[in-house]
Amino acid sequence: MIKLQNVYKTYTLGDDEVKAVDNASLIIKKGEYVSILGTSGSGKSTLMHIIGLLDKPTSGKFEVNGKNILSFSDDQISRFRNTYVGFVFQQFNLINKLTVLENVALPAMYFKGKLDFDPTKRAEELLIKFGMGKRLNFYPNKISGGQQQRVAIARSLIMKPELILADEPTGNLDSKTGDEILDILEDLNKKIGVTVVLVTHEKNVADRTNRKIYIRDGKIVDKYL
Amino acid sequence: MINTYKMEKYKYLIKASFDDFRRNKIRTLLTSLGIMVGVLSVVLLIALGLGLKNYIQGQFESLGANLLIIFPGNVFSEGSGAGGNFGAGFAGGASFDEKDVRTLSKVPDVNYVVPMFMKSLNFETGKEKAVGYVMGTSEDVFNLLNLEIMEGREFSKSDVLGKSKKAVLGQTLAEDLFFDPKSAVGKTIKANDQRYQIIGVVKKKGDREMDGSAFVPYTATFGNINPDKTFFTIYLGASSEKTIQTVKVAAKEALLKRYEEDDFSVTEQSQILSSINQIFAIINTILIAIGSISLFVGGIGIMNIMYATVTERTKEIGIRRAIGATEKDILVQFLSESIILSLLGGIVGLILSALIVAIIRIFFPASLNLIAILVALVVSSAIGIIFGVFPAKRAASLSPIEAIRYE
Repeated sequence: MIKLQNVYKTYTLGDDEVKAVDNASLIIKKGEYVSILGTSGSGKSTLMHIIGLLDKPTSGKFEVNGKNILSFSDDQISRFRNTYVGFVFQQFNLINKLTVLENVALPAMYFKGKLDFDPTKRAEELLIKFGMGKRLNFYPNKISGGQQQRVAIARSLIMKPELILADEPTGNLDSKTGDEILDILEDLNKKIGVTVVLVTHEKNVADRTNRKIYIRDGKIVDKYL
Repeated sequence: MINTYKMEKYKYLIKASFDDFRRNKIRTLLTSLGIMVGVLSVVLLIALGLGLKNYIQGQFESLGANLLIIFPGNVFSEGSGAGGNFGAGFAGGASFDEKDVRTLSKVPDVNYVVPMFMKSLNFETGKEKAVGYVMGTSEDVFNLLNLEIMEGREFSKSDVLGKSKKAVLGQTLAEDLFFDPKSAVGKTIKANDQRYQIIGVVKKKGDREMDGSAFVPYTATFGNINPDKTFFTIYLGASSEKTIQTVKVAAKEALLKRYEEDDFSVTEQSQILSSINQIFAIINTILIAIGSISLFVGGIGIMNIMYATVTERTKEIGIRRAIGATEKDILVQFLSESIILSLLGGIVGLILSALIVAIIRIFFPASLNLIAILVALVVSSAIGIIFGVFPAKRAASLSPIEAIRYE
């Protein structure tokens, strides 16, 4: 369970203080399929980065499974990012000099301890599952956007996370490919019970989720405008 | 099992570094070139310094432990060491003559006294010319320098007393003048318009000076070649290692009747060796310092490239952070890359210097020693760490979210 309470994130731009996240409070339960819906510049990405531990809030409380994340050291946060959350980005964010298979297995390299699975084997299984079995040794820049996003999803799953954070996962894809990606995410939520938080500016994408969190000017609001 | 997991990690790090090098071949080459040249210069300079030291040391060691050497000035005297007096010592001081030789012969427990006058001259036969040294000395020189007769005979005490113009040639000089050294015996050579009869040839000692010399009775050099009738050094052979200290004191006392304390020095072989060691310790330090400048420059090259690499790979760093890499993971990744880079340069530099030393050895007794090799390897990896740590720290300290957005 993710719990944000009175979270602020402020930036100073010259003399101005910009509140990217303004007093946001929310709860996302384990196994939920939620979307965070907002226009560009609404602060939805910043909120997602905070939830995904990529960014720290300026103030407020943030708990994951009852633990105060904000007091964590870099090692602890990194371990959390490594094992608790899997990211799917609009830009795919695969490492181009590594093969598809190496990209998917990479998070396992950063796990400090003994894994209960063989990373390469699991990476291969995941890629086969998402129809990428014939592209294992391809480099990301040699495959299509839809395929890259499948690889990114496989990577997000390798460490068996509780939470998948998808930041505009269909933003760089045509609608048909985008739908396929959304199908996969929905399927994962249903079949393996992973919490999926989908960040988007498209209402029809958000409509597929079970719950919508609206965000405008950094504030969580009741209705989408 | 935990070890295999760690091994996997190291393997992964090394593989990742080499993958990057493969993608940036020219950059990798140029970067490690700096370290390579640095290691090359340090190792070569050490090799040359040590070679020179061993060579000179060997020369003195071959003289034997019973030997005392008397120099003008206080060259090697106690207290002066290898310090400031070294150069000054040779310049001033006494010029020894036959009287000193006689005085020293009377010192108890002295087996032989060998005066040495040395001058570079042109030697001529009817057909050939060569440059060499005239060594005006006494018959005991053959014993003193362990010279072995190859052909003919040594000159004798009566030759010295009789001022006979006889010469024993070093093998190189004999070869230069007569081609077949054995054929030299019986012929004559001219030096400074003085004719000397060659009565023998001594075998090569591997010492350029000695092998290119003509040993003649010192009495025969007086007048023309040695108009002042002086000697540069006098060698004293003590009867045994036990008497060397008493001979040293006695010789000093005998000479003090004629000269001032600072005008001469009576030196043991061991003293000379320790002076040589001191001098070369300084020379080698300076050589290493000079070589280190290029290592330093090479290190800056690595730092420069690593900074560029960090910037170029900002997004990659962000991605790695997002999937669970700690700051330390990123630090280690970049650090190992710079270490491998400089170690590669170091190893190549080492191989090249080994080859160059092998070639130099033909002309000069350079020696590549284990310490130089270890120092080169340790220093080049240290440079990788020292100059890699700042770029690596910068990479590690990048905010994950800013890094991942970097285009």
